[in-house]
Amino acid sequence: MAKTILIVDDSESIREVVSFTLENEGYKVLIAVDGSDALRFLDGTPIDLIITDLHMPNMDGIELIKAVRGMEIYQRIPILFLTTESQAAKKMEAKDAGATGWIIKPFVPAKLIAALNKVLR
Amino acid sequence: MDNFKKKFVEEAFDLIDGLEKSLLLLEENPEDSSIIQKVFRIMHTLKGNSSMFGFSKMDQFTHELETLYDDIRNERVKVNRGILDVTLDSVDHLKVLLDEDADNDPATLKRHADLLGRIAALVTKKSDDIVNSQVDVVETIEEVASADSGVRTYYISFEPHEDIFKNGTNPLYLIDELNTLGQALAFAHFNKVPSIDKIKHERCYAYWEVLLATTLDVNSISDVFIFVEDECTLEISQVSDINLLSEDKFVATIKDIASTRKDLGISEIQKLASQVKTAQINNDLANINKGKTKSKEVVISSIRVSADKLDQLMNLVSELVTTQARLALFAEQNNVPGLQPISENVQKLSRQLRDNAFSIVLIPIENMLTRFQRLVRDLSKELGKDVVFLAEGAETELDKTIIEGLTDPLMHILRNSLDHGIEDAAVREKLGKPKQGKIVLKAFYSGASVHIQIHDDGAGIDPEKIRQKALALNLITADKKLTSKEIYDLIFIPGFSTAIKVTDVSGRGVGMDVVNRKIADIRGEVEVDSEVGVGTTITIKLPLTLSIIDGLLVSINDTFYVIPLNAVDKIYAVEHKELVDKFNNVIVLDGVQIPFFYLRKEFGVEIKEVTHEEIVVVKYEEKRVGLAVDSVVGEYQAVLKTLGRHFKAQEMISGATILGDGTVALVMDTNKMIKSFLIDLDKKLKE
Repeated sequence: MAKTILIVDDSESIREVVSFTLENEGYKVLIAVDGSDALRFLDGTPIDLIITDLHMPNMDGIELIKAVRGMEIYQRIPILFLTTESQAAKKMEAKDAGATGWIIKPFVPAKLIAALNKVLR
Repeated sequence: MDNFKKKFVEEAFDLIDGLEKSLLLLEENPEDSSIIQKVFRIMHTLKGNSSMFGFSKMDQFTHELETLYDDIRNERVKVNRGILDVTLDSVDHLKVLLDEDADNDPATLKRHADLLGRIAALVTKKSDDIVNSQVDVVETIEEVASADSGVRTYYISFEPHEDIFKNGTNPLYLIDELNTLGQALAFAHFNKVPSIDKIKHERCYAYWEVLLATTLDVNSISDVFIFVEDECTLEISQVSDINLLSEDKFVATIKDIASTRKDLGISEIQKLASQVKTAQINNDLANINKGKTKSKEVVISSIRVSADKLDQLMNLVSELVTTQARLALFAEQNNVPGLQPISENVQKLSRQLRDNAFSIVLIPIENMLTRFQRLVRDLSKELGKDVVFLAEGAETELDKTIIEGLTDPLMHILRNSLDHGIEDAAVREKLGKPKQGKIVLKAFYSGASVHIQIHDDGAGIDPEKIRQKALALNLITADKKLTSKEIYDLIFIPGFSTAIKVTDVSGRGVGMDVVNRKIADIRGEVEVDSEVGVGTTITIKLPLTLSIIDGLLVSINDTFYVIPLNAVDKIYAVEHKELVDKFNNVIVLDGVQIPFFYLRKEFGVEIKEVTHEEIVVVKYEEKRVGLAVDSVVGEYQAVLKTLGRHFKAQEMISGATILGDGTVALVMDTNKMIKSFLIDLDKKLKE
C-alpha cells in the first residue's frame, strides 16, 4: 500500500513541487490549501504523514498541528512543517505544538526526501 | 522545473495582486493586525517561493520587505504613508522582477537598489540572513570536499525521553536511518521497561546503542537526530578510524558481550577497538537500495486551467447544444421507438453541462477591484483630493470575457468621477459635505443580469448644462421636451463631453460614448442618474454570459426569431382584429393598457387575415411593451453567433442562432428594437 501524505500549503507552486517529488517517490498525495482545508481530510482517512506550511490564512500550521494532536487517531502520525531558516523561534513553537520535524525552505527534492525518511518508512 | 517556474510566476502575480489589495486595505486601517499578518504572510510566501525557483533578486527584495513587515507586525514600527508608498512602489517593482528577461536591465537594477535603500532606511535592525544563507551553501560544499573517503566507526548511544511518541516520532526510523549512512550494528535495550501492570503504551522505554561504520562525520550523524535533539539523550563519538564492523572477530566479541551484559558502554568498545586497530581496512559502503515502486494517486481540490482551454470548452458546449437541438427535432419527426427518451436525456444533460461550463468561466469581479482601488488612490493623490473607494458585492460573478471588456470602461468612469465628480476638499467643506469624497462600487444580481453601480457623492451633473451643450451642438431642438433620463442619455452621444476644462486625467477626447460602446460590445447597457450637489450614479447592466442564452422562439411570416427570455414578461393569445387598425397601438391585457408593436407591420411583411396571433410582453426600461408575433414556438437555448460585418450597423438584432433543422433564427435585442421603433414613431408624428 502506498503511504498517504497530506500536503498543506497556501502556495500552489510549493504544493506542486512537493507533490511532484512525493508522487515520484511513489507516495499517494492529498492536498489542502490551509489548515482548515486540511481538516476535511482528517475525518478518519488513513494518513501516514502531514507536511504543512506554517504561515497560512484561516488556520496556520501551528494551529493545525495542535488540532491534529488533539485527534485520537492522528495523535501519533508524523507531522513535518515547512519553514525558512530565519524562523528559528517558530521552529520551537511548532515542536512544542507537537510537530515531528521540519523541512527548511528553499529545499531540493533530495532534502525533502531526507527529512521524510526520518519520520516515515 | 521549467513548468514549475511558469506556475510560480503565475502564482506570484496573483500573490502580488493580493499584496497590493491588502496594502490598500491597510492604508484604510493601519492598525488592523489581521491585514498586517496577511501582508506579512504574502511576502513570506513570495520570499520562500522565489528562492525555491531561483528568482534571487526577488528573494532578496522580498526578504527586506518581510523584515520591515516583521517589525510592523511586532509593533516595532508603525504603518505610515511613507512605508505604504515604498511598499506599493515595491509591488510594481516585484512585477518587473518576475520577468527574468527584464530584471537585468540598468533601469531595473537602479530601481532595485533605490527601493532596497528606501526599505533599509525604514527597518529598525538590518538583517543579515541572506549573507548567512549564502555562506551556508559554501560551507556545505567545503564539507563535502574535505571529507576524505575513509570509513570510521562511531559509537552512538541514543536514549529517547519517555514522551518521544507524543511528537509523532518513531525512534526505530532513526535507527533505520543510521543504517542507511553506512554499516550499522544496533543493540536495543529493554531493561528500563517496567512490569506489565505499570506499562503505559504511549511511552517509550527502550534505548539503543549503535555501532556505525561510515565515511560521514559526527555532524552528519547527529543530523539524523535533528528533529529529536531536545527529546533524547544522545552521545556520538568516534571509536576508530577504520571500519570495525568488517572485523568478524570484533563483531563476534561485541555480540557476545551484548548477550550477557545490559549495556556495552563506550569504554568497552574503545578497548576492543584498540585491539583491532592493526586490522585491515576495508572500505565497503552499504548499498542503499531505494528502488520502490508504488502506485500513483493524487487528490487535488482545485486546478488551474488556461483560458484557451476554457474558450474551447465553451465552444464545444455550444456546438453540443446546437447538435442536441437537431437530435430533438429528428426524434420528434421520426417515430423511432426509444429515441425520444434518449433525446430528452441528452437535452437534460447538455443543459446541465452548459450550466456547469458556464459556472467555470464565471469569475468574481473582485479580481478587478484592486486595480480600481489603486487607481482611486493614485489619482486622488495626483489631483490633491481625498477620496475613499468602497466596493460591495465583490463576490458577484461574471463571465471572464465580460470582466475583461468591463475593466477599461469602469476605469474611465472612475476617472470621470474622480476628476469631474468629486470636488476639492475645500469646496466640499464649504458645501457642508464630509471632507473625504466617496466612490462606491456596488455589484449585484438582478434576474439573469448583473448590475454594477458606481456612485460618487460629488457635484453631480446638471441636466440643464447638458441640454445647453446639446443645443449648441445641434443634437436636439429647442422645443423638444426631454425627460431627465433622456437628457442624461445625451452624454453617450459621440463627441459629447460636458467637462469645461480638459485635464490630463479624463477628457482626453474619449468620452462616455466610448464607455457606452464598449459596454454595448459585451451586450450591456449604461444608465446615468444624477442629482446636482448630491452625486452621480452610473449603472451598468450586464448579461451573465455571452455565448448561450435562454430564449423564446417565435415565428413571424415563417421566419424564426429568438426573444431573450430574461426580457419576456408574459405571453397572451389575442384576436387578429385587436391588433390591426388600432390607431394608438395600445391593447388592454389583464385590464392594463399596454402599448404594442405589430411586428409584421414593423418588419414590412404582408399582413394576413388570421384569427389569432400572439403577443409577447417584454420589459422595456421601467415599462412593459407588447410585441405581436404570428405564434410562439417555445423555449429555446440559443447559441449566439455573431452576424457578419454587413449587419454591424443595425442594433435590433444582436445575433443569430442555428435551429435543429439547420435554419437560422435571429436573436432580437428587444430594448434596442423598441427604442428604434419609438424613434421612427417620433419622426412620423412630426411629419
